[in-house]
Amino acid sequence: MRAYLGIDLGSVSTNFIVLSQNGEVLANIYLRTQGNPIQAVKKGLLRTKSELPSNITISGVGTTGSGRQLAGIMVGADIVKNEITAHGIAAANEVPGVRTVLEIGGQDSKIIILRDGMVIDFAMNTVCAAGTGSFLDRQAERLGLPIEQFGQLAMRSQNPVRIAGRCAVFAESDMIHKQQLGHSMEDIARGLCQALVRNYLNNVAKGKDIFPPVLFQGGVAANVGMKQAFEEALQMEVWVPTQHAVMGALGAAVLARRKTTDSAKSNFRGFKVSDWNFDVKGKQCHGCSNCCEVVEIQGEGQTLARWGDRCGRWSEQIPMQTA
Amino acid sequence: MEVVVSPPTDKDILDLGVMAAEQETCLPVKVCYGHILTLAKNVDCLFVPRLISCQKDTYICPKFMGLPDMIKHSGYNLPQLITPTLNARERRNSWPHSLVRAARELGFSRRMAEAAWYQARQELSLYRKKLQQGHTPLDILFSRCQPDVASDHNLLLLGHPYNIFDEFVNMNLINQLYRRGYRVITPEMLPPRLIEQKAAKLPKHLFWSLGRLLVGTASHYLEEGSVSGIIHVVSFGCGPDSLVGELLERRAKKVSQMPFLLLTLDEHTGEGGLITRVEAFLDMIEWRHVS
Repeated sequence: MRAYLGIDLGSVSTNFIVLSQNGEVLANIYLRTQGNPIQAVKKGLLRTKSELPSNITISGVGTTGSGRQLAGIMVGADIVKNEITAHGIAAANEVPGVRTVLEIGGQDSKIIILRDGMVIDFAMNTVCAAGTGSFLDRQAERLGLPIEQFGQLAMRSQNPVRIAGRCAVFAESDMIHKQQLGHSMEDIARGLCQALVRNYLNNVAKGKDIFPPVLFQGGVAANVGMKQAFEEALQMEVWVPTQHAVMGALGAAVLARRKTTDSAKSNFRGFKVSDWNFDVKGKQCHGCSNCCEVVEIQGEGQTLARWGDRCGRWSEQIPMQTA
Repeated sequence: MEVVVSPPTDKDILDLGVMAAEQETCLPVKVCYGHILTLAKNVDCLFVPRLISCQKDTYICPKFMGLPDMIKHSGYNLPQLITPTLNARERRNSWPHSLVRAARELGFSRRMAEAAWYQARQELSLYRKKLQQGHTPLDILFSRCQPDVASDHNLLLLGHPYNIFDEFVNMNLINQLYRRGYRVITPEMLPPRLIEQKAAKLPKHLFWSLGRLLVGTASHYLEEGSVSGIIHVVSFGCGPDSLVGELLERRAKKVSQMPFLLLTLDEHTGEGGLITRVEAFLDMIEWRHVS
């Protein structure tokens, strides 16, 4: 049976999805990247393989996320796509007719506006990462709460406190202040969710027309407190898709399926890549005063790709596999 | 006398500028500091004009007005500064007047200075003609050309010249667009008179000259509909552009349903973030073409 693999190599999590020809999810893996993207890809491939029935052949691979090039080189991708397009495609695929996508991931957040199944506008957070997954993680840890319970706790609050959400650092000091005044944990948790939603709507979604249906995806969408805060602020229903945490990977798989239906052969190197030795070498180029940091990826002793140079002196020696 | 021009921006120049300039200034001012300090090591005299206005009834960005003073008080050991005030806002001949006077202070005769001014004007108008034939300044400087692509693959690139034509600061944006198969149109390619006409249609007089350039150009191409999308490049924290950008974005998106991308640059801008946004923007445009 033909199937398509989507990989989203993000800063915080690395996700794998395998889609069948008719769009059924055959495997779904969510891993923490933990600062080691190569290991995450290898581990993910191994786990994906073990979850798949033996009669599956991978006929196409798509990669996305901030590490999309690395993942693409490692596995031999048929398409390498940015995460904005991948998330937009996945949302339109999951809920045809969706008009707004709110996406909050580990270190970035974005809004995607669609009309008639087409992306017409988008924005991504620029200078501030307040409200992203990493920040919530940290605050939950500081309150001594497992992040999974954070949303539930917020839902129990009757009197949310107002927390300054303009800046992540100040939000934290404001939270500490509110704790010291004696406010309850749930009121602070809900107040924080509201502050982060305000920050998102003012910074990322600034000036965008938010119309229903609204999808909320990305790792943070698992937080019911955040979903509720969005619903309150937008005064409309917000949907969290079942695959919310792996929507980027889903989009990459959908793109791979589109890309390889006509062309017969996939570039996929096979699951054996999980046993390969990958080596990353960094070196500074002294060809000019820019002193670019060039990265070289080797797999099984062979140079697979180089990047990081501004002029193409190193990267163009090896043809890169891109979309 | 030999004229030395600073090299294209590179990592050293940017680092030098970021260290030396006031924290609160925008990226172009920091880059400018870097260039000035790089030049300062090798010259006897630095030409840092006080640029106030390039055309009647307009102002250039206020940071240019303060530049000579910022430099003077930066605490660095600098060679002699020549800082003629260039202000065409009220007096049309302020530029030649001030420049000729500056040249005379350096020991040149009035005749020589006026001849130089005249020659510079001629060179400038030749250069402008080339720009108006559809070349970017980088195409002219490095003898490159625009990619040969389908006529509907045109992008309008708006921004202050020192941002959109500095390949280091914008991480090779124009080349990235070329590589993806787009021709790049910039405000310099339209006759200034046409831009003026369009900008004059605003309900209120816009007195920032770079803002007029952007608004006038955008209006022209939105009316003509001959571009597939607009990319607006701004420096983080740019005051005038915060208003002009909003105006452009509203007109493009709400009035003309034109794809519009705002790219903000500062010294922390990573190449990854820029590439992701540009790629997604081009995907969006191509998606439209398909359906």
